[in-house]
Amino acid sequence: MAKARAIVKRLKAVKNIRKITRTMELIATARFKKAMDRASEAAAYTQKISEIVADLSATDLDFSHPLLETPASDENSTLLVLTSNRGLCGGYNASVMRNANSRLKELREEDKNITLEVSGKRGIALLKFQGESMDEQFTNFEDQPGFDEVDVIAKRYIEEYESGKLNRLDIAYTRFETVSRQSAVVETLLPIGSLGGDEKDGDADKAVDYEFLPSAAEILEEIVPAAFKARLFKCFLDAAVSEQIARMVAMKGATENAGDMISTLSMQYNRARQTQITSELSEIIGGVAALE
Amino acid sequence: MAELQLVVVTPETTLIDQPVNGLRFPLFDGQIGVLPGRAPVVGRLGYGELSASSAGGDLSYFIDGGFVQINGSVVSILTDRAMPSNEIDRAEAQAALETANSRIPTTDEEFTSKQRDLERARRMIQLAK
Repeated sequence: MAKARAIVKRLKAVKNIRKITRTMELIATARFKKAMDRASEAAAYTQKISEIVADLSATDLDFSHPLLETPASDENSTLLVLTSNRGLCGGYNASVMRNANSRLKELREEDKNITLEVSGKRGIALLKFQGESMDEQFTNFEDQPGFDEVDVIAKRYIEEYESGKLNRLDIAYTRFETVSRQSAVVETLLPIGSLGGDEKDGDADKAVDYEFLPSAAEILEEIVPAAFKARLFKCFLDAAVSEQIARMVAMKGATENAGDMISTLSMQYNRARQTQITSELSEIIGGVAALE
Repeated sequence: MAELQLVVVTPETTLIDQPVNGLRFPLFDGQIGVLPGRAPVVGRLGYGELSASSAGGDLSYFIDGGFVQINGSVVSILTDRAMPSNEIDRAEAQAALETANSRIPTTDEEFTSKQRDLERARRMIQLAK
């Protein structure tokens, strides 16, 4: 009897857990859709920026800007790690941290001045456990990062970079590639390698003869920081979308596993109950036989 | 008459994407008016009002710097922030003006940034009426 009751208890617990994970999966799906919409809306801005950059590059302009140049020394390095504020999202944080840690080790071996900045409670907790000291912590980025918040960080980086306090900015985050594919990467955001972005198609023949107000050089001066901000913002958006996908997948797996467990447990329970009934029956029969 | 397609994008979203008859917005050194058939332009924006007239009525937005690209009939405006003129918080703009005013610049950069913030706050207040 005791065994059957224990199984019933466990069955109830698993059923409750399945309810929770199922709900979390649905919530993550809804959030993912929202985050995805935001990310695709933001893509329009990045695309326009690279369009203007392409227009500028058609003008034989000497592309020189402090943000584009590789500084003479690379003593001061900043590593920005984007993790989530909440857990239960599978290997999402672990894979970001794995990359971040190996990058950190690399920088340590090169004996650089490292500034470590972390966004997300999970990453902060993990690094604290490792005994790292963090120079900056952000917990204000949820599933819908706002441009104003990112702008503040971006402005600080630009200022530091231009004044030479920062020579290199790396960012460890999860890049969103497709809905079924996200990869944790470490990217170098500063110095900006190339402005053109991914698309380098040479459709020069349909180049339009633009009038530049004030001048191409002055527009370039303004557009480089704008492009950097857009890139940083995209990292945050990617991280947010990937987090929701990771949670969705993790919770889907959990729900399915709970379902499997329920069927195993109910079978075990039925067997236990049957055994018990059989043994009770044979006891009764045995008792009757003894009386005769 | 040919129409212009006005596209306003901010880093977060595409705010406006609609046909207009003509529009006016601030460039870095003053207002510019654009009518259909404008020659291609890439320009830096200033702070102030973006107003456009379309078949469905007039639009009025505050834009916060950025860039403009005019290519054929498409006018793309890239700005960090844009909001409808009637949503501007006057008190907030006034406060921004005062804090900008009370800053004492010591370097050239600080001076230009102060001037920029002042200009921006003034334009906002102007529009908030």
